[in-house]
Amino acid sequence: MRRIRLWPSNFSGQMALLIAIALFVAQAINFTMLLQDRRAARYEQATGPAVARIVDAIERANAGHPIERNRGRLRQADVSPVRPTGEHRADVEQGLRTELAEAGLKVGKIETEVRDLRRGDPRLRRWNPAAADRAVRMGGELIIAVEQPGHGWLVLSAPWPRAEAYLIWRLLSQTLILYGIVLLPVLWIGRRLSQPLRSLAVAARNFVPGEVDVPVEERGPHDLRDVIAAFNALRLRVTAMLDEKDRMLGAIGHDLRTPLAALRVRIESVEDETDRAKMADTIEEMNRTLDDILSLARLGRPSEPLTEVDLAALVDAVVEDFRDLDNDVSFEETARLKMRLRPSLMRRAVRNLIENAVKYGKSAEVRIMADAHAVSIVVADQGPGIPPEQLGNVFEAFTRLETSRNKETGGIGLGLALARAIVRNAGGDITLENRPEGGLAATIMLPR
Amino acid sequence: MLNADPMGETPHLLLVDDERSIREPLAQYLTKQGFRVTQTGDAEAARTRLTAYAIDLVILDIMMPGEDGLSLCRHIRETSETPVILLTARSEETDRIVGLEMGADDYVVKPFSPRELAARVKVILRRAAAGGARQHAPDSGSFAFAGWVLKSGERALVDREGVSVPLSTGEYNLLHALVTRPRQVLTRDQLLDLTQGREAAAFDRAIDNQVSRLRRKIEGDPKNPELIKTVWGGGYTLAAEVTRL
Repeated sequence: MRRIRLWPSNFSGQMALLIAIALFVAQAINFTMLLQDRRAARYEQATGPAVARIVDAIERANAGHPIERNRGRLRQADVSPVRPTGEHRADVEQGLRTELAEAGLKVGKIETEVRDLRRGDPRLRRWNPAAADRAVRMGGELIIAVEQPGHGWLVLSAPWPRAEAYLIWRLLSQTLILYGIVLLPVLWIGRRLSQPLRSLAVAARNFVPGEVDVPVEERGPHDLRDVIAAFNALRLRVTAMLDEKDRMLGAIGHDLRTPLAALRVRIESVEDETDRAKMADTIEEMNRTLDDILSLARLGRPSEPLTEVDLAALVDAVVEDFRDLDNDVSFEETARLKMRLRPSLMRRAVRNLIENAVKYGKSAEVRIMADAHAVSIVVADQGPGIPPEQLGNVFEAFTRLETSRNKETGGIGLGLALARAIVRNAGGDITLENRPEGGLAATIMLPR
Repeated sequence: MLNADPMGETPHLLLVDDERSIREPLAQYLTKQGFRVTQTGDAEAARTRLTAYAIDLVILDIMMPGEDGLSLCRHIRETSETPVILLTARSEETDRIVGLEMGADDYVVKPFSPRELAARVKVILRRAAAGGARQHAPDSGSFAFAGWVLKSGERALVDREGVSVPLSTGEYNLLHALVTRPRQVLTRDQLLDLTQGREAAAFDRAIDNQVSRLRRKIEGDPKNPELIKTVWGGGYTLAAEVTRL
């Protein structure tokens, strides 16, 4: 099962997510500060006037003007109306106690409770209309009960703002508005950056040196245009360098073939037939090696186009060429196998494998196996195989296994390295393994 | 040495190569083989020799400083019927195709065996003497027959769907011989002869074997061949219309 990805992988997604998180954190800090301010203000608002009223009432009572019972927001009660289960405000109780003490009044217990207050509440009838209206808007009532030892309780009601929910809603809507205003342009900028970046990535990935194709369009902000221009220039430079390499290799090929050709002509005057044949073989071998080196070096820029080819017929034709030269090569004929590849190069890869098998294994047994996704061409021989610890490095160009293979015959490494380079160029690979019944099996795997 | 001499004279070859190390021993060898050889090191000198002598065949190096071999080959083809064999340092397909498009009769890749070169010279001179008209180069052009196309340049046989069916060297040589002589009966000896000199070693096996392999590739029913027919007592014939493309 796929894990849900919380962290977006592309540039604009990451930028948008980061900005969204940052905005949210900033909003939350703002909100916390605002909330603290609100609470401090509410505390002031609730306790300040309450203390004044209580002090005033107690002083008046002491002066012989007792408080009328059950009238207005300040009243006298025998029992505290505060319910033990209600919402108590310890901060307010503490504040009142301090302030009353400062005013020099001795009181008993102080209890508080916050109750919700809605329009039409019977308690509001005792309030003056303006205060009642304010209390309803604030959504709550703070009941303060102060015990006067021996005189019952002095009870005071004050409006209590219940606005926290409202604040949260405001924060959310503010944040959403911010998101709308900030994130849309961010996403737009992200797209403006990521589209040219993506086409640059595609161009870089599909870059085939030497193939003429259109340069990547320079889009987006200035610095991105610079990057794209630099890439286009780099591509031209790589192509120029490879052209230079091709020219150089052509020159090397020419300069080495010319003396070889001169030598080949001159040995015709050698009287001894055997000597002459051996010299001709040596020259031929040098020439083949030269061919392999040049092909290997030029492989990155194949001049041969991709063609629809019957791979079974291709392998069959290579095998037939070996048989015509009296080599022991067997091939199990296979049904037609249409593939898109470079036929001369693939012929060469198959030929090099069979050549190795014939050279070191005396005979070759060639098979083609195909399924829906891949084709394998297996070339098996009866030779000594390759020591397991050396299976990996025989692919290195110029490697030759002196210990187990006959060194008077050509190098195994170059031919094999060329074959592998060709097959990898076609999207496949070559594997080597020692067969349990003896001999080596080289397998070309090609995707279909 | 040479028994196929048309006029009873020694054939006169013009050898053009800027490399003395190749030109001189080669001229020596060819002279020993019974040819009269004139050698030059550049295209300009070759042009004057061509007008001064009755040259029977030109052996021409492609890579030369100044005017190259391809350009000289084109010039020769425009002004005369003298056969040309190209010497090339590269075995790449493109070089071969371009050279043959320029009208060369054959090509040899360096390093080459002087014997093989001499053999090819003889074959071309014999053809020129026998037929009069120039033969097409062995590797030029394409031939369409019975839904197949034999592309000589790439040595590929292409089927109706455009899929290329690779041929072995022997199969290719045999099919090429048949396709260039449709509806002619060719004996086994003729077929061997027609493909001689061109990687002769690859043609050691019996013609019959190659024919049956080719039939399996191109015939709808290889048991009852309709394209490559056996002629009793004779040999084989290609029973199809061939269009040169």
